[in-house]
Amino acid sequence: MKSVPLNTPVSRRSAVKAVAALSGLAMFGGLTACANGAGDSVKSLKFWISTSVEQQAGYDQLVAAYEKATGTKVEVVNIPYDGFSTKLRSAAQANDLPDVARVAGIDPLWTKATVNLSDITNNAANNINKALIIADDKGKVTSIPSDVTASGMFINVSLFKKAGVGYPTDPEKTWTWDEFLAATTKVREAAGAKYNLTFDASPSRLRAFQYQLGGNAIQYNNGTFSTNDKTVGIYNYFKKMNDDTIMPKSVWTSGADPNALFKSGQVAAYFSGVWQIADFEKTITNFEWAAVPSPAQPVHATDLNYGGMTVAFDNSSAKAKAAHDFVAWMYAPENYKALAQTNGFLSVETGLNLKYTFKSKAAQDGFALYNKEIELADPLSSSFAEAQVQWALKGKALADDPTKSQMGAFINGQQDAQKTVGNIIAGYQKQAGGE
Amino acid sequence: MSQATRQSAPPAPQRLAPLPRKRVPRANGERTKAIAASTLLWIMAACFGFPVLWFILSSFKPAGDLFSYPLTLFPETWDVSGYGKAWASYDFYKFFLNTTFVAVITTVLTVVASACTGYALAKYNNLWLKTFFICILATTMLPTEVILSPTFLVIRDLGLYNSLAGLIIPSIITATGILMFRQFFLTVPDSLVEAARIDGAGELGIFARIMIPISRPIIITLAIFSFQWRWNDYIWPLIVINDPSKFTLQIAIQSIVGAENVDWTVLLSASVISIIPLVLMFAVFQKYVMNADINAGLKE
Amino acid sequence: MAGQTLNASAASKIPQARSKVSNRYRLAPLILISVNVVLFGLFFAWPGAIGFIYSFTDYTGIGSPKFIGLDNYTELMGDPAFYQSLVRTLLYTVMAVPLSYVLSLAIASLLVSRYAVGKSIARVVFFIPWLISPIVTGVIWKWMFGENFGLVNFLIEAIGGKAVPWQSNADISLVVVVFAASWAGTAFNMLLFIAAIKNVPQAYYEAAELDGAGSWAKFRNITLPSIAPTSFIVILLTTIGAVKEYAMIQALNSGGPGTENNLLVQYIYRTGFQNGQIGYASAASMILMVLLMVIALVQLWVNKRKGQ
Repeated sequence: MKSVPLNTPVSRRSAVKAVAALSGLAMFGGLTACANGAGDSVKSLKFWISTSVEQQAGYDQLVAAYEKATGTKVEVVNIPYDGFSTKLRSAAQANDLPDVARVAGIDPLWTKATVNLSDITNNAANNINKALIIADDKGKVTSIPSDVTASGMFINVSLFKKAGVGYPTDPEKTWTWDEFLAATTKVREAAGAKYNLTFDASPSRLRAFQYQLGGNAIQYNNGTFSTNDKTVGIYNYFKKMNDDTIMPKSVWTSGADPNALFKSGQVAAYFSGVWQIADFEKTITNFEWAAVPSPAQPVHATDLNYGGMTVAFDNSSAKAKAAHDFVAWMYAPENYKALAQTNGFLSVETGLNLKYTFKSKAAQDGFALYNKEIELADPLSSSFAEAQVQWALKGKALADDPTKSQMGAFINGQQDAQKTVGNIIAGYQKQAGGE
Repeated sequence: MSQATRQSAPPAPQRLAPLPRKRVPRANGERTKAIAASTLLWIMAACFGFPVLWFILSSFKPAGDLFSYPLTLFPETWDVSGYGKAWASYDFYKFFLNTTFVAVITTVLTVVASACTGYALAKYNNLWLKTFFICILATTMLPTEVILSPTFLVIRDLGLYNSLAGLIIPSIITATGILMFRQFFLTVPDSLVEAARIDGAGELGIFARIMIPISRPIIITLAIFSFQWRWNDYIWPLIVINDPSKFTLQIAIQSIVGAENVDWTVLLSASVISIIPLVLMFAVFQKYVMNADINAGLKE
Repeated sequence: MAGQTLNASAASKIPQARSKVSNRYRLAPLILISVNVVLFGLFFAWPGAIGFIYSFTDYTGIGSPKFIGLDNYTELMGDPAFYQSLVRTLLYTVMAVPLSYVLSLAIASLLVSRYAVGKSIARVVFFIPWLISPIVTGVIWKWMFGENFGLVNFLIEAIGGKAVPWQSNADISLVVVVFAASWAGTAFNMLLFIAAIKNVPQAYYEAAELDGAGSWAKFRNITLPSIAPTSFIVILLTTIGAVKEYAMIQALNSGGPGTENNLLVQYIYRTGFQNGQIGYASAASMILMVLLMVIALVQLWVNKRKGQ
């Protein structure tokens, strides 16, 4: 773990400490020194996650079962998403990392402090989908995805019914984007909706869109980023859709909330992803909704990503072993199955036949649809997720994706498509490119 | 000392008694003024209050109605589940206590430190004091993010990581507080200080026994500000505190803002809960500011 | 006659005509400021120095920084996006500061005046917006001024007008932010003004009334000059706050549409921290600090001149 090479000399440190002691009335709260167990068995582990309350339930259930089975207590701490990676960095710099964490992305700052999980992924009994695992050149597996997420389309069924327009339900017989736009235009005009669709302002959704239209979004090959010649055309097509009739411009240009717009019941469709199912089940009560097959023109694709990555940290040899054992237990099929069913996860293990705990038919159908769509999806769909792990293993990090602000400027008319593509590639290259 | 104050009082016109504080408008001109002032005040209050009203009413709307069209101000069904969920799921009670503890201690220390510094900057005249004043101004000029990472390293090297002291100590210095006290003490006549010196009081004694008591409204105003700043602190407690039992309120509230979704009902409810103590505190303490019959240094 | 005597003595009491204590007292001020000096050194000077050093390196948060001299600064000076955000920030500041000042002073005066009724409740109403966090403020104002389903457009269309592009038009969007920021920030300035107005001796007003002065004359000739020091810090702090604006504009329009409303701190975040270019972000922050210092010194100088 490298930190800033500005070391304070010892004498200054103690002088400064004396001052600090004087200026505080007392050291309230005490200092929680990092408890490095000296080889004796570990009684409790720290597990950091960043999830909604509903998804924490699955993890709480998991650690309760673990305590019953092994006697080791695991403390689950739910950290806000905005600030989670900063917090992990600071914890690394203060030598106070948790034992296990479900992180949003691998940070080269602490990859060296992680435990090797390759035996878990190589264990045939777990049936972990090998396509999702990246090992470094020494065979070390730094992280295992906790779940898979995919982009997909939702529609306002009530509006479709009102307009008398049909929609496909079988991913193998899905519509093209042109057909989709025609259908939603008919819905908008006949049922009096305001927009055809809203589209999350997210690079992931845009990637899915590009894959579906035959583009390859952004490809990473050994330190270099590139894209194919379809990209400019796709960008222009997308910009044309953002005309305040088909789609509201303000989502991509000014941060308007597409989720809220869809929930207003005034929009025929919403291009988002599988995580919305759990939310919609609870919060959409004024109209019927459904997950429908994503359009393909002509490629069946989605953007497959990891909902989270499970990592174990090496804080001491005893703790590292305990953390490793916990993760191994987590991915044992019967335990992982329980976790995925409660949390509404798309599984990283094959052959599990999940029975989700959702009550509404729309939710159950939605999950079944997503599982089928993932089977049909072109291998391109997971290329970005894989690339992320690859460049992290090289010690690079993509602190922020330039796509969003570049697309915003493009749709706002500040620059043309060619320049936008160029800027995005350059942004990736600068941050995560190179050896 | 009483002689000094009497000497500094402006020669009040002897022939009239001072007008009473609360006057019932009697004459016609008075009443028009009352109506005009009140109307203006209430129009502005309505403009300010309307968004707040929507915010509070929305926290009572069930999730499905929050964004539905056409827009409604009042909830069709009153739903307090957001409140129940917010309170239960985030260990709110403990975070309340932590946050209150940090806020109170920091506020006390902040007020004391700012009063001392503000007085020194106002009443003494040294080159290094002037330089320090510019330095204090400079602390307002760097955005938080720039300072965040290096300050964290300082906290770590001082051994304050993961302790509430690590939240309290860096927050004591505030340019706003120092400016407030400085400008207040600038309005206190120097003759007051001179007279006390003639009476034989020491510098620090003058400060503690004369200056502090008369600056009570500033103390209360700064206390209100400081309390709110600490109450709403987010990124700093998140990074410094590792032990979840020491987490503060804003961390819990920010947890509601998920990666892809925001549970608005819970977020709005949690926000309402978190600002209630501040409103209550303000409602109680504002009396002291409003009723303070200051006229600094011109009366006992 | 009495009025004139009053004016003369009042003039001598007005804070500007003061004489500072001589250099004799060294120990007492030193003791008084000691705590803040230590805190300043630890939590501003030390981290600030680290940041300053970063600005001459290509530090990315990982690994060790490499010294690159003035490269960050020259790159910054050559970036048109930087100048655009600078102009936009100054435009925002020029709108936000006067509005905030007038609004909070007006409200403070009303709340102190003996004519208005229902002051205690009004005070709390004005105070609440300041307590609300930026993300919730963003939601509230987006709900009101949202381009697609906002309340204001809903009402405008209901009476037959055409929806206003509150978010797609950069200038209109900026004005919305100015109002939202004033709404949120008024309570702070208001409280400062209330304390200051209360500090003006009642006797001045009573004497002026004897001379038949009306409300506006009293306000202009007694209140305003007496609260001048507070006006100064309100304007200074509001200006600094406006130049450093980030959270509110991010919550309301994400610096949009596109990047047209990116202010300085957003520029620093976007090109610096979010790109992992810590060194570059530190350089831009140093330039921001210099800009703010210049503004502060100018205001200090103007204030001193007015006092003489």
